[in-house]
Amino acid sequence: MSAGRENLLRRHLANPFFVLELPLDASREQLERQGAKLLALLAAQVAEASTYPTPLGRKERTDEMVRAALAELRDPDRRLAHEWWARGLA
Amino acid sequence: MHAGIDLGTTNSALAVFDGAVVTVVPNALGEQLTPSVARLDARGNATIGRRAYRFLETDPANTRAEFKRLMGTGERISFEASGKSFLPEELSSLVLASLLDDAKTALGYAPRTAVISTPALFELPQNHATMQAGRLAGLEEIALIQEPIASAIAAGWRADDAEGLWLVYDLGGGTLDVSLLETKDGWLRVVDHWGDNFLGGKDFDNAVVDWALDRLRAGQDLGGMSRDNPASRRPLAKLKAACEQAKIELSRTLRTTISCAEMYTDAAGDPVDVDLEIRRSELDGLIAPLIERSLQVCRVLLDKTRVSPEAVERVVFVGGPTLTPAVRERVGGLFGGRVAEGVDPMTLVARGAALYAATAGLDARPVAVSAPAPPTGLAVRIEHPAVTADLEPFVVGKFLPAAGETVPARVTIEREGGGFTSPETAVSPEGSFALQVLLERHRQCRFVLKAVAGDGSPVALRTSSFSIVHGVSVADPPLSRSVGVALSDDTVHVYFEKGTPLPARRTAIHQTIQSLRPGDGEDVLLVPVVQGEYKRAHLNRLIGSLRIDGKGLKQSLPAATRVEVTLHLDRSGQLQARADLPSAGLSFEDVVHVLVPTASPEVLEREMQSATDRLVDLRRRSFRGALPAVVHRLAGADALLAEARAGLAPARGGDTDAAQRLHRLLLDLNGTLDAAEDEIRWPELEARADDRLAVWISWVSSLGTAGEQKLCDQAVQAIHNARERRDAAELERQLATVSALFDAAYSRHPEAPVWIFEAYESHLTEAIDVPKAQALLDQGRSLRRQGNLEALRTINRQLRALFPGTLEERRKSFGSGVS
Repeated sequence: MSAGRENLLRRHLANPFFVLELPLDASREQLERQGAKLLALLAAQVAEASTYPTPLGRKERTDEMVRAALAELRDPDRRLAHEWWARGLA
Repeated sequence: MHAGIDLGTTNSALAVFDGAVVTVVPNALGEQLTPSVARLDARGNATIGRRAYRFLETDPANTRAEFKRLMGTGERISFEASGKSFLPEELSSLVLASLLDDAKTALGYAPRTAVISTPALFELPQNHATMQAGRLAGLEEIALIQEPIASAIAAGWRADDAEGLWLVYDLGGGTLDVSLLETKDGWLRVVDHWGDNFLGGKDFDNAVVDWALDRLRAGQDLGGMSRDNPASRRPLAKLKAACEQAKIELSRTLRTTISCAEMYTDAAGDPVDVDLEIRRSELDGLIAPLIERSLQVCRVLLDKTRVSPEAVERVVFVGGPTLTPAVRERVGGLFGGRVAEGVDPMTLVARGAALYAATAGLDARPVAVSAPAPPTGLAVRIEHPAVTADLEPFVVGKFLPAAGETVPARVTIEREGGGFTSPETAVSPEGSFALQVLLERHRQCRFVLKAVAGDGSPVALRTSSFSIVHGVSVADPPLSRSVGVALSDDTVHVYFEKGTPLPARRTAIHQTIQSLRPGDGEDVLLVPVVQGEYKRAHLNRLIGSLRIDGKGLKQSLPAATRVEVTLHLDRSGQLQARADLPSAGLSFEDVVHVLVPTASPEVLEREMQSATDRLVDLRRRSFRGALPAVVHRLAGADALLAEARAGLAPARGGDTDAAQRLHRLLLDLNGTLDAAEDEIRWPELEARADDRLAVWISWVSSLGTAGEQKLCDQAVQAIHNARERRDAAELERQLATVSALFDAAYSRHPEAPVWIFEAYESHLTEAIDVPKAQALLDQGRSLRRQGNLEALRTINRQLRALFPGTLEERRKSFGSGVS
C-alpha cells in the first residue's frame, strides 16, 4: 500500500464516531459524558477501553484519540463532515 | 490549592484557587501586579518588579523589561555593570520566582506546580522557553494555557447567563489575541482565534514617543536622536517611560503633560528638561491606525468563523491597554456596546489560569500536604474530573490488589453531607467499575467510595474520598497553528491541524529520498517539523528537526525506505518526535529544537524588496483580469508592507524585537500574496481540477474497490461544495483524496508498472542522482523485457525517491530528506 493511501485509511478509521462508539445522532451531553468516561477508563487502564470497533476490526484507542475525537465533534461543521464519512464507511 | 500565573510582557500576577474562591496573591508591596522588569547591579544582585521598574528610566543599561517579546529567540540580554547576560527565559524565571516567593509568604509554602499563561499565537519555541522559565524558577510541574482561554474561564466562571458566543479582546503590552469562544450548558470551547504577535500597548507608547520626538525636533536640535540610533537608548528610555505614564493618565483625564527631567544634554552640555502637553484627542489620533489594525484582526476572525458582530453576545476586555477609552469605544462599538462588566482586565488571565490548574489536576501544595502518608487498606485508583459542567459525571475506578488481596464484589459512592448515594455496582473481574455521581450546582462536592466483599462485609480502602467541583468545563487547549512535516517538494504533510486539542499524537508514513551510508555521522537525513498554515513549507516556521544519520546502520539504507514519523505535542505544546525505520530496526528521537529565527536587516530588506516586486506584479494582473476581490486582498498586503517598511529602521538600529516583528510581517505578507495568487489562478485551478477529475474518476470507477468508490463519490461532492465557496484550500485537499484513490486504482492495472517506469525514463535528467537513476533504469529495462512486473514495481519505488522535487524545492523546504 502506498504511503499516501495508508495515511488516508488510517485517518478514516479514526473517525470520531468510531473512536467514541457513539451513534451519529448523539447529543452534545452524550458526547461530553462518553468522552469523559472513556478518558477515565483509559486513565484507570481498564482493558475494555483500550480498543474500539471499526469496519476493519478493532483498533487501538488512546486518550489522545479520544480528546481529538471530542474536539472534532464539538465543532458543528467538522461534525457534519465526520457524520458524512462515517455513513460512507459503515 | 491551585496556582495560575499570568507571565505578562509588562506585568505579571499570580492567583490561587482553593476549590471555591480565586484570590490574586499580592506582592511584598501589597500590589496585585508585579512589573516584569529585572535589574542587575554591578555585583550581580537581581532586583525584580516595582523596585527594578523605578530604574528603567535612569539606568536602562542595567534594567530590562519586555523580555517576553524575545522568548524563544536565543537572544542574550546584557547588563552592563555586572557584565552578565541572560536569555529571555532566564529573566522570566526571575519574575516567576519573585511571584512564587510572594505566594510562599501568603500561603506558607511556595507552589510546587502552576499553570502559566502564554499568548495564543505563541509558537512552539516560545512555549518551550516559557516552560523552561517555569522550571528554572523551581516549579516541578507546569502546564501552559493560552491567555484568551484563561480570560474566558475567569469571566465565565459560575456565570449562569454566560451562554452563547464571546469575544475576548486581549491587548497586552506586546501582543493582541482575539478569541471567539462558545459556552453552552457550561461547556467552554474555543471556536477560533486570531491575533497579532506584535501589536500591543508598547506600540501605543512608541507612537507617542515618535510624536514627541517630532514635536521636540521642531523646536530644537536633537542631534542624531532617533529610534534607529543605538546611542539614543538612554534618553529614549526616559522619554518612553514618560509617554507611557501620560498615556495611562489620558485614560482618566482629557489632557496631561509628558514630563521628562534632564532627558538629554544640549550642544553646550547642559541638561534639557522636556515638558510636552498632549490631549486625549491627540493620543486617539496617534493610536487610531493601531486600533484599526486590531479591529481588522477581529474582522478576520469573524470572517473565518462566519459569525456576524451581532451574533457575539459580549466582548471581554483583557490587558492594561484596553483601559484606553478609544479602544473600548471603537472595539465595543463594533459589537454594539455589548461589553462584559465587572471583570478586572488586569488580573483576569491569572485568575483563569488558577481555575484551569484545578481542571488540569495540578495541586500546588507540597507533596507532604497534598498526599499525607497512605493508610493501610486495598489500593484503588479513582479517576474523575476535577471540575466539570456535567452534573452527573462518571467516576471510574480500578482496584490494585497486592499479593493475597482480592478485589471487592460491589461498590457504592456517597456524597458527604448526604443527599446522594449511587446504586450499588458490581466490580468487574478485572477489578474496575464505573459509576455516575450527582453534583450540586456550582459547588465543590466531596464523595466517599465504599466497597464490600462478596459476603457483604466492608473492605478497607487506602484512598476513598475525592472532590469534584461543578463549574465551567474547559475543552482541551487547541493548537494555535498547524504542525506538520516539510517534504522535499516544499509541501507540508500536516499532522495536526490548527485547533487540534492537546495533547495529541499522530503517526504518518514517509519515504527517504536519498540513501544513507552506515556509520557515517556526516550523512544526515532531515525531517523538518514546521508550524503554520501555508501550503508551501518554506513559508511556515521551522520549529524542530529530526535527524536521521547512519551511525546505527549496519548496512546502507537505500532511497525510498519507509519511515514512520510520530509527532507528539503535550498539553503545553512541547514537541517530541520519533522516526522509526522498520527495515533497519532503528528509531531516532533526537529532535533539534529550533529557536525563533533572527534575520539580519540586510536579508530582511532584500525579502521586502522581493515582496514589493511581487505585489506590483499581482496588482497589475488583478487589474488586467478585472478581479475586485484580489484588488481588495492586495490592499491588505499594502498595509502589511507599509508596516514592514516602518519596522526596518528600528531593526537596522539593532532592535531585535523589531527584527522579529519584521520577519513575521514578511511571512504574513508572502502568505497574503500567495492567497491573492491563488485567487488569480482560480479559473486555472478549476480547469485543472476538471481535467484531472475526469481521468481519476474513471480509473476509480473501473479499478477501485467498492469502499474506494464510495469515498470517491463523497470527495467529489465535497469538491463541488468547495467550488461553490471558491475555497481553494478545501478544493486541493479533496483533490488530494481523489488523487490517492486514483493512485490505488491505477496501481492495480497490470500494465501500470511499465507505464510508471516509462515516465521515469523520460524524465531521467530531473533525478537528484542521475547515475543511480540510470543504473536503476538499466535494471528496469531488463526486467521489463523479462516481463517481471513485480520486480519492476520495486525499481519504480526506488526511482520515485530519486524524483522528490527539485533541488531548489528541497533547499527551500529546510533541506527535507523525506517525501
